[in-house]
Amino acid sequence: MKYLFVDLWPWWLGGIAIGVLVPLMYYFLNTALGVSTGYGNFVKIIMPASKLRWLNSNPYKDKYNWRFVFILGMIVGGFLSARSSGMPWLSDSMGIFTDTLKWSLVPNILWFFAGGTLLGLGARLANGCTSGHSIHGLATLQKSSLVATVFFLIFGVLTTYWIRVFLFGGA
Amino acid sequence: MKNRMGYLLTGIFFGFVLSRTGASDYNYIYWMFSGVDLKLALLMGTAIVVGAIGMMILKALGNKDIHGQEIEINRKPLNRNTVIGGMLFGVGWAVSGACPGTVLAQIGEGKILGLFTFLGMVFGTYLYALMAEKNPEL
Repeated sequence: MKYLFVDLWPWWLGGIAIGVLVPLMYYFLNTALGVSTGYGNFVKIIMPASKLRWLNSNPYKDKYNWRFVFILGMIVGGFLSARSSGMPWLSDSMGIFTDTLKWSLVPNILWFFAGGTLLGLGARLANGCTSGHSIHGLATLQKSSLVATVFFLIFGVLTTYWIRVFLFGGA
Repeated sequence: MKNRMGYLLTGIFFGFVLSRTGASDYNYIYWMFSGVDLKLALLMGTAIVVGAIGMMILKALGNKDIHGQEIEINRKPLNRNTVIGGMLFGVGWAVSGACPGTVLAQIGEGKILGLFTFLGMVFGTYLYALMAEKNPEL
């Protein structure tokens, strides 16, 4: 039990657990694994009266549809994992980033908000994120997912290099 | 809505696994992108192979879901925006140390800064809605 609930899982176990979600979600729910489309639900929840065409397109007819439920579930899943493994209830740490830079709260907030903005805009332009493109899309052998994933990784590597050299001082 | 419980349970499982494997940990993302520890890359590779095998099995069984309906694969378009979006997403992934799935696990874990990554994502999605208003291609 400690192996599953306290220790970090080995990569192969995590890979199997996430990989099986692709066929299982198609078989039991007839839907594609994916998270980022659900962020549109939250835009609509915050501004329900918006007349923007895209916010009133088909996936957002019901802002409390399955994507919303799925996202809530994922938050609960993270909560259960934190409780079972004894993480602190609340933490303002972000690993190496906050340990190395020791910024105060406001610049930290701006940095992570900016990163989120790029993720949100990028995922919509590319039509998917790590789960929808890199896992689901590659498992269903889609060319666009290969292109998206290659650019995710290249720019992730370049940006991390930049962070390491210019922000962390080469640490 | 049908299957509400199914989606909730699948979400809980997915969030739990992301957190238990270290995918929601800033350090593992940083280590993957700097080549120090490729655990998460191996995890993704395994997930892709397992998912692909599962999809082949479903196809061999007639490509039907549990209710006998034809399974329709969600096909994603390939165009210029796949590349532009991919670049922006890659930068955002490294900046925040999270992706749209793992940030949800971070929020559940009580990581305050993850909440701001999430809010940024909602804002980025709103920016897309504004761009789509002026660009009928989106």
